[in-house]
Amino acid sequence: MTKYILTYIICCPLLAALILLFIPRNFRFVIRNLALLATAISALFALKMFFFDFTTGFPGRQLQHKVEWIGSLGINYHVAVDGLNVGLILMGAIVAFAAAAVSREINKYEKEFYVLLLVMTGGILGAFASYDLFFFYFFHELALVPTFIMIGLWGRGENKNYATFQITIYLSLGALLALVGLIALYLQLPPDSRTFNIAELTNYFSKNPMNVNAQNLIFPLLLFGFGILVSLWPFHTWAPLGYGSAPTATAMLHAGVLKKFGLYGLIRIALPLMPEAAQSWLHIIAVLCLGNIVYVGWVAMRQRDLNMLIGNSSVAHMGFCFLGIASLSLIGITGTVVVMVAHGFLAALSFALSGYIREQTNTLDMNKMSGLLRPMPFVGATLVMAAMAGCGLPGFANFAGEMMVLFGSWKGAFHTSGAAINWIVVAAVWGALVIGALYMLRAVRNILHGPVSAEFANVKDAGSRSIHGFAWWPKLPYVLLVGALLLFGFAPRLLTDKIKPSVDVLLDTAFGKPIQESATAQVAVEKP
Amino acid sequence: MNDVLLNFPWFILFVPLVSALVITFFTKRNRGLSAGISIGAIVISFILSLILFVATGTDTVTSPKLSMDWLSVGNFIVDFGITIDPLSKLMLLIVTGVGSAIHIYSWGYMHEDRAVSRYFASLSLFTFSMLGIVLSNNFLQMFIFWELVGVSSYLLIGFWYERPPAADAAKKAFITNRLGDFGFLLGIIMVWSLLGSLNFTVLQEVIVNNPAALGGLATVVGLLLFCGAVGKSAQFPLHVWLPDAMEGPTPVSALIHAATMVAAGVYMLCRVYFLLNLSDSFALEVIGWVGGLTALLAALIAVQQNDIKRILAYSTLSQLGLMVMAVGAHQPVAGMFHLTTHAFFKALLFLGAGSVIHALHHEQDIWKMGGLKKKMPVTFWTFLIGTLALSGVPPFSGFYSKDFVLSAAYDANIGLFVIGVIVSVLTTFYMFRLFFVAFLGHPKSESAEHAHESPKVMTVPLQFLTVLSVVGGLIGVNHYVAKAKVFPGSEHHFPWYAEFIAPIVHAPVAALFGIFAVVVGFTVAYKFYAGAQRDPLPGKLGALSRAMRGRFYFDEIYSALIFMTHEAVAKLADAIDRWIIAGLLVRGTHGTTELFGRALRLVQTGNLQTYAFLIVAGVAVVLFYVLFR
Repeated sequence: MTKYILTYIICCPLLAALILLFIPRNFRFVIRNLALLATAISALFALKMFFFDFTTGFPGRQLQHKVEWIGSLGINYHVAVDGLNVGLILMGAIVAFAAAAVSREINKYEKEFYVLLLVMTGGILGAFASYDLFFFYFFHELALVPTFIMIGLWGRGENKNYATFQITIYLSLGALLALVGLIALYLQLPPDSRTFNIAELTNYFSKNPMNVNAQNLIFPLLLFGFGILVSLWPFHTWAPLGYGSAPTATAMLHAGVLKKFGLYGLIRIALPLMPEAAQSWLHIIAVLCLGNIVYVGWVAMRQRDLNMLIGNSSVAHMGFCFLGIASLSLIGITGTVVVMVAHGFLAALSFALSGYIREQTNTLDMNKMSGLLRPMPFVGATLVMAAMAGCGLPGFANFAGEMMVLFGSWKGAFHTSGAAINWIVVAAVWGALVIGALYMLRAVRNILHGPVSAEFANVKDAGSRSIHGFAWWPKLPYVLLVGALLLFGFAPRLLTDKIKPSVDVLLDTAFGKPIQESATAQVAVEKP
Repeated sequence: MNDVLLNFPWFILFVPLVSALVITFFTKRNRGLSAGISIGAIVISFILSLILFVATGTDTVTSPKLSMDWLSVGNFIVDFGITIDPLSKLMLLIVTGVGSAIHIYSWGYMHEDRAVSRYFASLSLFTFSMLGIVLSNNFLQMFIFWELVGVSSYLLIGFWYERPPAADAAKKAFITNRLGDFGFLLGIIMVWSLLGSLNFTVLQEVIVNNPAALGGLATVVGLLLFCGAVGKSAQFPLHVWLPDAMEGPTPVSALIHAATMVAAGVYMLCRVYFLLNLSDSFALEVIGWVGGLTALLAALIAVQQNDIKRILAYSTLSQLGLMVMAVGAHQPVAGMFHLTTHAFFKALLFLGAGSVIHALHHEQDIWKMGGLKKKMPVTFWTFLIGTLALSGVPPFSGFYSKDFVLSAAYDANIGLFVIGVIVSVLTTFYMFRLFFVAFLGHPKSESAEHAHESPKVMTVPLQFLTVLSVVGGLIGVNHYVAKAKVFPGSEHHFPWYAEFIAPIVHAPVAALFGIFAVVVGFTVAYKFYAGAQRDPLPGKLGALSRAMRGRFYFDEIYSALIFMTHEAVAKLADAIDRWIIAGLLVRGTHGTTELFGRALRLVQTGNLQTYAFLIVAGVAVVLFYVLFR
């Protein structure tokens, strides 16, 4: 059970998708509940994996499952977790369940929708767990393609077609750049020892550092390839538009989980394999991330559509992840991983709430909404919490992550030594504390506060008995996501104690000691 | 020292949090029970604080820490610990003591409200956060509670969120505070990066061992930390949120926006005084002048306000300015002393105002009150004592603490001393203006005619606070808090009977000027306002009066500034995003690609072999380029 737990987590949704294909489309109850069941089981396994099976403090890979596939090319199915991805897998599995749970709004082609949702879930979780480059990429594409189809078929708004078109081209381009980079990386190995295994690659390149010219060529491919996938400024315009047009569940899964793939790839592959190139690109990343934090923050201030606001704010939050990466410090990168997990929950929560509000009010125009807290106290209170988490209030996981990023990057590697004040971090703090609060509180003020207009007097709160049978059931996805944010906000060490040793080893293998003095960095021993 | 006692602070801190959670999740529907839980929680905290105070006296003790740090990554270590020294014990008593009175009063004032459970839950959340600030032993823990205090204040100002002014005021308060926190957090980051720790005790040791540890950045760091206080204690130029915060329920104004939360900035300055009081730092000079300027500005504005709560709000601003000025004048003990007595009499005045507002069915204009002496005797007399204490009439508490502030200013800088005396004159003037107009003379409106005294649940807290306002200056608060290790030097000690006249013996100039200020302020107020039906000042002062009434137009200037900067930049960014990045570049690429695609369609032969050939050729070109270039 424990031995194959990662495979179970990944295969549960994929298997369910396969079964769904054979269920007649008019069995709507069965279809929906099977999807719910599969994501729930996957989430429960992930919880068990995170809290019980994972050995906290061990820096190397654990819970590995390896199956030989194409030996001649060095392609094998190999899944494992360490500190970097264990939180992401937990987050992904929970968000997937929440996404399936709020998909009640879908009323056409339900079967196809749930099949795609499950494929997407399996793909995301697989991509995070894979230690084989081939599967790493393959699983990502498996999740990416359904995104496009879902936006195209179940999307909404007048920009739907353009959004689908743009997000498809844009993200495929990003994925393609990353692919070229990965293939080039593969070809850097001598022919006799070529492998797709990330661990072996890391091992090899730490002993035989890659030619600096090759690094300088491949690193930008990965940086911008992955960067596009994470909406690095100025390649971000697909995100708000795409999320604004996507069905709720797709926006939740993509903004929450799939988007983190690019960051994960940068930390897992680009940093340790190409340390020299990473160091020379740091300054550029640090400047671009301000584009996310400050500039996109300003763009968010101007939005009238709630989904566009959440989309822009989610782009802005990615800036903190890039800032942490650019710091190349233990504190900063640990913070980045925490922000990735926290933002996954938060983005999913925000899109779930905006989806619910849209379903009730038929609009997302914040100037038209007013006083919704009175008729929908639960959704309103949850939205206030999401807004507060979004502007970095302590108690929510985002705060812990952002603090680590900001503290870690003050003396980060991109900082010119000698200067007393790190202006990039100053601007980032401004973005985190002031700009975030400006647009989040404005949204709360417009949507929830003020007198309730007659038009919205009879909207229903989630879980009110008149529209749903069970009072608690429709609230569950929101409660789960808020609960996760609070749990990791109050006890961030649940995450950091797992992340820190792995980041430590990663930085140690890539850069040696001088980057960050730290406690224990034993060589990663493999655990079965 | 036994272990149970050492764990008291944890109970004091967490009982209100438990109360907030229980109310939110279980007793929301039962209004009386919710109020009871919240009141019970803070009273328990108060009793425990008293026991702790009596048992440990002036000792500095350390509570056992939580078994693990909140965060620990590399050298970024945030523990979750508690500091118990005279400074924090004094604040504990103020927060829980004054808080208890206000919680009880709240039941009388709010019990008819629809959402009374939400009210008490937020109040308990606030108490928890405020106690957290007081007990924190390190910067980041303090910052966490600092933010939580901000959010509970947001929730309480916006308690009546359906009224647009309340909703706007809540937003404004939070964002203005965030501006201050921006500097505060940067200051914390810099302290951590320069001194390598966040823990106050460790930092103080580092500074004692090496006073030049902050190097050339000492002033910058000090001022950045002060930014936090500027936001939270509403100092110029971030003072604009506090008067608007009066949109919240009146007991909230008393607790949060007069007695406790706004004092957090002053408390923080005292807690980190060792980082400010460095020989190569000019931070304290700036702090002193900012405080003085705030005190003067706010006192001037208060003179021409007509809303009873706004007058008190500007008065709070002004008094906070005096406290900050005292810290800046190298006398944090005076700041804490004035903070304490101010908490007593300002809470009393706000609750008294609330009692009047309650009796007059939510009338807040002082020119529609009057003739309340007979109708509301308890409120009348307690309010009078509050007014005397705030004005600094001996032997009420305000006299002693304000005198300490004045004498500190006198020692530090004659300019600050002059400001202090002018502020004292203005304080007495606007308070007696308020008192003469609102309480004396004939009833000036229908509702004032029919006013009647508030119930016991409201008047008993008034009487409790009145006692404190009378004796607060003589119970030795200043000597007690001076024992805290964060303050350098020792204190003069007088026998108890000499406390009465200590100010005159100790610093005769300051004391005499203080008394003189009261006499002048009172005389002028009496001349203008005893029996007045209309305000005579606008006629005499003209434009100045209009400027005072218009609060010197800070709000207008700020909204214009914000409009010109953030809004304009946001518009620009949005336009660039829409038209250049998304429009020109992305759509442009798209357009070019489409043209290219149309051209390429000609190559589309439908021949599988051709395709296969093209694919292979393409891959070959890419690989060639990457590898053998």
